[in-house]
Amino acid sequence: MFAYLVRRILQVIPTLFVISLILYGLLALKPGDPIDEMRRGNPGFTQEDYDRLRAFYGLDKPWYVRYWRWLGRIVHGDFGTSRQFGRPAAQYIFRYRFPNTVLLSGLSLLVAFFIAVPTGVISALRQHSQLDYMITVVNFIGVSIPIFWLGIMLIYIFAVEIRGFLPAGGLATPGVTGTWAVVVDRIRHLILPVVALSSLQLAQWTRFMRSSMLEVIQLDYVVTARAKGLSERRVIYWHALRNAILPLITLVGLNVPLLFSGAILTETVFNWPGMGRAIFDAILVNDFNVAMVSLMFISLLVLSFNLLADITYALVDPRIRYG
Amino acid sequence: MIRKIVLLALGIGLSLSVIGWASPALNSLVIGATQEPSNLCPWEGAADTKENVMGIFNIGLTYFDSEGNLQPGLATEIPTEANGRLLLFRDSDGKVIRQEVLWTIRDDAYWSDGVPITSDDAVFTYKVQNTPEMLVTTRAFSNLIEVVCKVDDKSFWIIYKTPNLFYANIGGSIGLARHYDIAPEHIWGPIYDQVMEGIRANPEKTTEIIEGQFLGAPPSTGTGVVVGSGAFKFEEWQINQFIRFSRRADFFLDPPGPAENYLQEITVRYIIAQPTLLSAIIAGEIEAADDIGLAGLDPAILEAQLGAQGVVESTPSGFIEKLNFNLFPQCETAVDLLLGDKRTRQAIIQAIDRADLARTVYPGAQVSNSFLVAGDIGFDETLNPWPYDPEAAKALLADLGWADIDGDDWLERTTDDGREIQFDLHWVATTADFRIRSGEILQEFLADVGIKLEVENLPGSVVFSSEYLNHGSECTWPGIVEYAEGGGIGQAPADPLSNELWANDLLEVPVDATLENTPLPENGYGGTNITGWVSEKFDRMRAAALQEFDVAKRSAIVKQMQQLYNEELPTVPLYDRVETVTKMVGLVNYTKGTAAARCQFWNAWEWGWEQNGAVAVR
Repeated sequence: MFAYLVRRILQVIPTLFVISLILYGLLALKPGDPIDEMRRGNPGFTQEDYDRLRAFYGLDKPWYVRYWRWLGRIVHGDFGTSRQFGRPAAQYIFRYRFPNTVLLSGLSLLVAFFIAVPTGVISALRQHSQLDYMITVVNFIGVSIPIFWLGIMLIYIFAVEIRGFLPAGGLATPGVTGTWAVVVDRIRHLILPVVALSSLQLAQWTRFMRSSMLEVIQLDYVVTARAKGLSERRVIYWHALRNAILPLITLVGLNVPLLFSGAILTETVFNWPGMGRAIFDAILVNDFNVAMVSLMFISLLVLSFNLLADITYALVDPRIRYG
Repeated sequence: MIRKIVLLALGIGLSLSVIGWASPALNSLVIGATQEPSNLCPWEGAADTKENVMGIFNIGLTYFDSEGNLQPGLATEIPTEANGRLLLFRDSDGKVIRQEVLWTIRDDAYWSDGVPITSDDAVFTYKVQNTPEMLVTTRAFSNLIEVVCKVDDKSFWIIYKTPNLFYANIGGSIGLARHYDIAPEHIWGPIYDQVMEGIRANPEKTTEIIEGQFLGAPPSTGTGVVVGSGAFKFEEWQINQFIRFSRRADFFLDPPGPAENYLQEITVRYIIAQPTLLSAIIAGEIEAADDIGLAGLDPAILEAQLGAQGVVESTPSGFIEKLNFNLFPQCETAVDLLLGDKRTRQAIIQAIDRADLARTVYPGAQVSNSFLVAGDIGFDETLNPWPYDPEAAKALLADLGWADIDGDDWLERTTDDGREIQFDLHWVATTADFRIRSGEILQEFLADVGIKLEVENLPGSVVFSSEYLNHGSECTWPGIVEYAEGGGIGQAPADPLSNELWANDLLEVPVDATLENTPLPENGYGGTNITGWVSEKFDRMRAAALQEFDVAKRSAIVKQMQQLYNEELPTVPLYDRVETVTKMVGLVNYTKGTAAARCQFWNAWEWGWEQNGAVAVR
């Protein structure tokens, strides 16, 4: 197992290298560079300015030369500076963007999970009842409504129509001070984006939980538990749910790396400064250093979670052995 | 149970909604903007969004007021020949060959940390601007300077090696930007010394040192002491959220009445999505919008949405939306379509109902017939308006040999080498909503005269990339590219050099006619004349205008340039774009005025709420 672990970790290094090469090459293929962005903002910008700045940033060199230079820097822990925000790219991502994404996506995931499980169970236990039909209809609506539209509607209802009830977007209200006021303010800003972001997952997971529960409650061991005279509550929540929830946990686990890459539509509509929007903007305005550090981080996460999943399988399933 | 849950939810909701917005009561203002500045470094970048923010806590030697008049800011007076502060040395032909300008800074001008603003700051600003290693975005004006000399603590001379017509404009003197001519030496001096020391020790790491220690310096990122010369003091920058400023008690320009009647705090909030910004405005979270965030929205619809609580103002932006033709003889498609023949361009301008187009895609915009924005010095109001006349367009196209040969409603012609071609004209623009709509409308207008417009909308980063825009000679865009250009040469805060129309810079001595401003393989695709239009007559007039300090004479030359442009139509001007600004009722003096002002945040010291006693003077 140890040898396997070492081998897998060592495999990550060349994999990341190849990923970085592909990502850098793809970004370099995109027309435009940061100097074109500067030229757009400066009508008096001269050709001399253009040539000088391209040389300054090394953009007059072929992409593979620039890649090599970039690689040399990140080996020493220098991820470069964000040309969009004038700060170290890694600091910008991990200090200003990543925590916001974890907060929003994490909360949405928790909300979706803890509502989907009981709703799915109730829907399964009351199969073909009015409540079941109602939950099913709501779920289909949740799956069908585009998040950006739902977001705009939520803003329209709770910020515009019921004026001042909840903020239209952003992370916090400028100038709010005091611990309690700050906490309340942050909660107010989180409500609408969390509702919007969790809606899709909630709908999908409720359907998933319902199907899983329906399958499990018809199995022999559940019938046996009932025959033993256990209470219905104990049969459902102790025996059936524990098995029915396992596939959902696997599904949620698969969503974890996505959680860190951000939710671009929700972040845009609610003006939430997260990873998704940061990556999108960085690519759009040719902020290569921010794009590379973000994409490489997500690649590392995906590789790490794959490894973690493989290790977990080996730990929980005695039939799997890695040599 | 359900009732209890509903009541609990309502209770929580009500308690959460207690944090409201009461800016007039607090004598503060929350401004909404969609674009955030990249940094606060005075030497880097000059995008409108950064200049707006810099304008709140900085002021230049001069500034343009809401009527477009130049006013002294940090300077005691605007240098002119009459007051002896502008010295012009002419050759025997009367041509200006040398220029010297004397500036004096006001005695009561202080940086926001209380340090006096002196001529040492001006000399230092130019030193950094002129240091080859430093990351300076543009040296368009500073390259004209020979030296900046200190006279005493408050006065300094700028000696030009090439005359600078725009010497008195904000940003035109030392060449920083449009809202801050001078940077504080006591803040940036130690940073500059450290950066230069680092570069001397590790010249191979120049880029990293500049990026990390200069652009990344605390005064640039807002993480340290940020000092300005303007009416407000920088307080904090929560990146991706807001920047906050507070009023200075020691600023030298006063609004009418007590200063405490005017804004004491300003917050600029960044909301990237336009619909969300609009929602926040209607919800009352944002009390005023900047001049960029609501671009392209219909002022009438905005007024309806805001109702009685808000005011909508449209002001000229200084930018002209136009169709740029590919006129390169190297591009076969463009040659086949006879785009190089002015009659083709004249046919196209007459085939488009530009008034209808402007009304539909950019409400409030006015049709343009010039490369200058209306109101600029030398603007010619008598130019041919090229009214909508599809019959005239058809006649011109018929003269050129175009006819519907196969009866499919599209024009065809036989080329000199015997090929039969159809008038399929490629049009490209960015993915901005109004441009997507513009493509659809142009398609309809041109179809009426038999031209088939192939519409393509690409991201701005692609359209404006040099690999695309500057490679017209290779037919990267074989027909038309639509975008907006800052129009100017008369007063010209937007584009003082008329960058996109000239081919040869005849200001240079000796004159070299190598099409230096036309992107071609020979010059590495450099230059901004992306249409490839070459007119020696136009270039000579431009050179003459840029050296003519007499406003009346310059206006006459500029009018001739416009007449030539209007006849030749190297680009088809569509409309002067407008900027739409909203503000809550009661907010006074928050106005931009003319296109000359360019930046909206030029008079923050006068902003205030009427209900708090602020007096409207704009």
